[in-house]
Amino acid sequence: MAVDLSMPVLVVDDYQTMIRIIRNLLNQLGFKNIEEAKDGKQALEKLNAGKFGLVISDWNMEPMTGYELLQQVRSSDKLKTTPFIMVTAESKTENVIAAKKAGVNNYIVKPFNAETLKGKLKAVLGEF
Amino acid sequence: MAAAEAAIKIRTAMEQLRSQGVRERPLVEVLSLSHQMADAMQAFFGSLDKSIIGEFKYLADFIQKARDEIAGLQANDIRTTRIPGASVELDAVVRDTEKATESIMAEAEKLMATEPTDLAAYKAEVDAAMMRIFEHCSFQDLTGQRVNKVISTLRHIEERVTKFASALGVTDAAKEETVDEARKRELLLNGPAMNGPATTQDDIDALFA
Repeated sequence: MAVDLSMPVLVVDDYQTMIRIIRNLLNQLGFKNIEEAKDGKQALEKLNAGKFGLVISDWNMEPMTGYELLQQVRSSDKLKTTPFIMVTAESKTENVIAAKKAGVNNYIVKPFNAETLKGKLKAVLGEF
Repeated sequence: MAAAEAAIKIRTAMEQLRSQGVRERPLVEVLSLSHQMADAMQAFFGSLDKSIIGEFKYLADFIQKARDEIAGLQANDIRTTRIPGASVELDAVVRDTEKATESIMAEAEKLMATEPTDLAAYKAEVDAAMMRIFEHCSFQDLTGQRVNKVISTLRHIEERVTKFASALGVTDAAKEETVDEARKRELLLNGPAMNGPATTQDDIDALFA
């Protein structure tokens, strides 16, 4: 089944520049409905208030990290099936394993390029 | 000093008794015994005084050395000038980097939104945008100089603290983990690794294959 490019995507990062980079890359790939949050707490509020087809989140944010957000999403009946990609500079193997155990769908280490993001989106969502 | 005075007084008393012709054995023997005791006490307290004086001298020397080292540490200079100066430089680095990034991204976004209907005009616009991007990249020269000033400050502090700790024989005390440190450990907040990612994207992909 083709990916619905009009589905809302939530990009979570405390650096506006990174949100802008991901937003531009997603736009280039055809995604047009992109929302943003500056930390896990704000993201969780938006996720609970709406319906998102994908979450792309940084790890290191305050007051709620991307890892905590992932745990909250996976423990919520409403949100637990939402695809979740971690995009982070936290590249220790222990981080990757912890995120995988918590239920992350894929993991991108910063800095990354458009091809890497596209590849992970295809791996998580399917061809588009 | 009290023992020495007692010895002198006893000796004086014995000489007076002898000069007055007192020959009663018990009294002379008591005084003689007292004289021996006073001499012994004088020797004991004399040696005690010397060792205490030695200890106090050692402490005074150590305190003087510590004062010299603290003065050499230039803690006030570090607190009032060097650290605030480094903080200002780092703030400027963040500000300049953000400004340049914002400008470069704005140029790129403008180009992406441009329709290449007129190729000559489009090329001219691309060329002009590229020149502006090159200009924005000049921020790196300034931020490089600012970061070097911060590195110089950190090295200065490192040298002073190392010399201070070495001179006073300071060793690190056991340290309790703070709430913030515990949170960072539990949430695996390690930050970016030096010299590229600790785990490559290929290795991460293998974990998800």
